Amino acid sequence: MDNDRLLIVEDVEVSYGNIQAVKGISFDVRKGEIVAILGANGAGKTTTLRAISGLHKIEKGSIRYKSFEITSVPAYKIVSIGISHAPEGRRIFGTLNVRENILLGAYTMQSIDDERLHWVYSLFPRLQERQNQLAGTLSGGEQQMLAIARALMSKPEMLLLDEPSLGLAPILVKTIFNVIKEINNAGVSVLLVEQNARLALQLADRAYVLEVGKIAISGSTKDLLSSTKVQEAYLGKKSNR
Amino acid sequence: MKKRTVTYALLILSVLFPLFSNSSWITIGTTFVIYSIVSLSQDIVLGRAGMFDMGHAIYFGMGAYTTAILNSTYGVPVLLTIPFAVVIPVIFAVLLAAPIVHLKGDYLLVATLGFNIVFEQALKNNLFGITGGPNGIFGVGVPSIFGIEFSSQASIYYFSLFFLFLTLMIMNNLEASKTGRALHFINEDSLASETIGINTRFYKIFAFAISAALSGLAGVAFAVQYSTVSPEAFNFIQSVLFFTIVIVGGQSSIPGVLIGTFLMFVVPEIFREFATARYFVFGIAMILTMILRPKGIWPVKFGRIPKYIRH
Repeated sequence: MDNDRLLIVEDVEVSYGNIQAVKGISFDVRKGEIVAILGANGAGKTTTLRAISGLHKIEKGSIRYKSFEITSVPAYKIVSIGISHAPEGRRIFGTLNVRENILLGAYTMQSIDDERLHWVYSLFPRLQERQNQLAGTLSGGEQQMLAIARALMSKPEMLLLDEPSLGLAPILVKTIFNVIKEINNAGVSVLLVEQNARLALQLADRAYVLEVGKIAISGSTKDLLSSTKVQEAYLGKKSNR
Repeated sequence: MKKRTVTYALLILSVLFPLFSNSSWITIGTTFVIYSIVSLSQDIVLGRAGMFDMGHAIYFGMGAYTTAILNSTYGVPVLLTIPFAVVIPVIFAVLLAAPIVHLKGDYLLVATLGFNIVFEQALKNNLFGITGGPNGIFGVGVPSIFGIEFSSQASIYYFSLFFLFLTLMIMNNLEASKTGRALHFINEDSLASETIGINTRFYKIFAFAISAALSGLAGVAFAVQYSTVSPEAFNFIQSVLFFTIVIVGGQSSIPGVLIGTFLMFVVPEIFREFATARYFVFGIAMILTMILRPKGIWPVKFGRIPKYIRH
């Protein structure tokens, strides 16, 4: 039972100086799942992801991945144990071309796996078309694709995605979400942070809703989609009463 | 091909230079060579790794003072002081950089500036009674090998030029190495570098260390050239100068940094007769460069850089 729990986050607290951004949250991601973390700006979503990938120190609590205790493992080592983080705001290398950006995702690997590269290009044909273009000249949506493509090159078993829909046209968001599903179908577990609650709830298996650093609601997305509380607060539907 | 020809021509020119120059020009040439080393080493931290280090004169000064103290006070031959003049700045660079490399841009700049001010005060106040106080240390000897002394200005020029060639070789290797690549990625996006598995902290400190080693070497040449060291030569104004050279010349561009050094140290000598007016012209030239060529006089061509991550 416990074996299929890939990532276990327990009572994690994170602070920026005096301000506590994450106030003791616990959740898990099982093998093969897509789990969404939802919430408004400043709820602690990004901080939670950064804590998992070692980009931010944890004050209290523990994080386990498979059998590893990764609570205080630095970010650059997290990649090698199978967690890949596509950070918020795309963060691609603008002075390198698309192909080089993608290859850089395999920085920690002994060599670049051509099969993997083909797979990544098949997920994002647009990137293959533009592989020699400087990454800085890509559109926002293409940069987001590139960030995800790069994160896949290290062959992660778990992908952390931070606001992949941020600032993108609705049609592109749909494309990207479809690809996330496809990535998941290939066996990669996904932990997704999103503000776009409706889309995230349609995509994910389970979700946690964060409010000012605490988990307010959690459950299967089916249940959450039908919960009046979630509908009112996050999907903009008014109840009839 | 063409670029290579020009490079070799310049290298040969630098070797032949003393043959057709009088001693005052060789002195200027030596100064240029020494400051080029410091500027290039500053470029590793500032241009390549993208860290705003405004205290680079510290490592230059540590190298110079190490040679001066060991040679002048304790009578150690200059050549034997070299390892110390390299290792001591490296140790300090690691110790000073470790607690501050996570700082961003302007914060790092202020911290390093602070280090430089502390360093200058330490020298002026004759720390441990070995730095000679405000006057510094006099009477640094010249290097000698098998009893042959490098006492002529031309031989000191060659002594310094050897260090410059060494520096250029290291910079060249760095450009093609995994470390150089890592520095470039860190410069462009530290967080993204971390998420793809680069140990950013290690490479940032490494950049400081290697740069301090080269500055230390330049310091040895400085002590030999002027046979004296004093706190003013290594105060934060000097650091500002090295910083400016890299920005004006062109970050992570070897020709750019060399042109920058030439403009800052050689051109003022050419216009010596205009006395202080030259710095007036100079300040304006700096402003114009930044407006007209914000990436430096000879900027590095990105897009060509990534040839070293060819698949």
